[in-house]
Amino acid sequence: MTSAPGLAAGGRISVDRLTKVFSRRIRAVDDLTFSVEPGSVTGFLGPNGAGKTTTLRCILGLVHPTSGRATIGGVEYRAIPDPLRAVGAALESSGFHPARTGRNHLRVVCRAAGLPDRRADEVLSVVGLTDAARRKVRGYSLGMRQRLALATALLGDPRVLVLDEPANGLDPDGIRWLRGFFRYLADQGRTVLISSHQLGEVQETADRVVILHRGRLVRAGSISELTAGTDTVTVRSPQAAAFASALTAQRVQVQQVDPGTLVLRGVPTDRVGHLAFVHGIELHELSRRRADLEDLFFALTEQAATAPVQAGAPR
Amino acid sequence: MINLVRAEFLKVRTTQVWFWLLLAALALSALLVIAPLASGDISTERDAAQMFANASTAYIIVFVLGVLGVTTEFRYQTITASVLTTPSRWALVTAKMIAFALLGVAYAAACVILQLAIGLPWLATKHLGVSPASPDMPRALLAVFAILALFGIVGLGVGALLRNQIVAVVLGVLFLAALQNIVLAIPVVRYAWPYLPGGSTASISAIDRSTDNFGGVHLLPVWGGVGVLLLWAFVPAVIGAVYSMNRDIT
Repeated sequence: MTSAPGLAAGGRISVDRLTKVFSRRIRAVDDLTFSVEPGSVTGFLGPNGAGKTTTLRCILGLVHPTSGRATIGGVEYRAIPDPLRAVGAALESSGFHPARTGRNHLRVVCRAAGLPDRRADEVLSVVGLTDAARRKVRGYSLGMRQRLALATALLGDPRVLVLDEPANGLDPDGIRWLRGFFRYLADQGRTVLISSHQLGEVQETADRVVILHRGRLVRAGSISELTAGTDTVTVRSPQAAAFASALTAQRVQVQQVDPGTLVLRGVPTDRVGHLAFVHGIELHELSRRRADLEDLFFALTEQAATAPVQAGAPR
Repeated sequence: MINLVRAEFLKVRTTQVWFWLLLAALALSALLVIAPLASGDISTERDAAQMFANASTAYIIVFVLGVLGVTTEFRYQTITASVLTTPSRWALVTAKMIAFALLGVAYAAACVILQLAIGLPWLATKHLGVSPASPDMPRALLAVFAILALFGIVGLGVGALLRNQIVAVVLGVLFLAALQNIVLAIPVVRYAWPYLPGGSTASISAIDRSTDNFGGVHLLPVWGGVGVLLLWAFVPAVIGAVYSMNRDIT
């Protein structure tokens, strides 16, 4: 796994105005544009039914877009001459024959792609399945199937990896290993695109995120960019109401969540402490909370869900 | 393409279905020799040749093998991995057709060898000195090979059209084993029988072509039977490839 040969034009995934309308006019993906850069781990996020899997399937040429296009290294998947050596993919629904062993599953793919059987043993050891290699997939746990799917994706030593919910079913050890492995792959200059609904997991793993809701792009960027300015300060006080009006007078954005608790935005803790002191307010708690991806995600998808008409309007 | 065909063989080899179906084909072939010989129906060399040609009845089993060759991929969604490795679905279908035609030939070889092993010594005890080179015998044996090779492809095509494993196997076997033969019993409609898979198979394998054997229906000439069976093999496979295989895989 030292070289990353493959696409001459680089391993950039580019989705350009992609739209997929299934029968009955379901717009699974709606005018979606984003790109995924080599050398980074990109998280592809969205609630169930947001169109993540459909988008990945369009990228991989399994689903024909209604309009727009998706390319890898500037080429559509179907036009890549030796696709397994360029792109490795593990989709949630990519299945295994229950009566076939893990190793034989990989050998079938090796045979079709013109790779030596040796590769099957190599990737089995990379994902830690060597001991189970000669067992039938029927007896595999969900986590082992995930590892086998990842092994399949790695067979061709591809420059680009597209993985659908790769952490599903893995135990905490497995998740930690996966995180390190993605980092290792990205540091080799590979492109890693992972879809997930486990937001905490993505925050730990990804450099960038693309957030999708109802088939539309909600936001794309690095996690620090996206969470900037969304930290909150929590204040508990027996005089919360009085403090709230004092803060409002200072143009601090205040939200009273219960009779004794305020949540403030866009203000540092030292200023809040100072204002409390000046106004003679008794404080029981003054704490800052870093916004995480989960908050951002819900904030963004809720905005998108409740106020689609006001998109672009100041909030 | 050679890699793809080898991958198809490996797919078949790494599950156990081929083995059980081969056992079934062998059992059927053995029965088709043992039953007539034991009941004393075989009195001429021509009877013997027909008996060996009847190993082609194993076409139903090769058909099932072909159906499973496609529908299993949809059932267990291994089709995703197959299409990711081979984005050209035409290439995939072509490789499958070559592989399953060759599997049909392999099944034919096994069935023919078993039949000869049982049948030739037994015929010798009845003072019928039949060998694979006797009159009508090469034709009889060749028919078995041709029919089983083509039915591997017929199965693939039907599998690609219907995609649902149980539906495809049940409907296919029901049609081949029962429904198409009912046609022979219906006046007028019975003349369509030679154009059905069973009728075209009979046109290839029948040694005694007298119409008495087929309810007064005239069989097609051998080449006609081959032509009709080729249509049965390739038309569903091509429609299946265009319609079914080209659909979105979700």
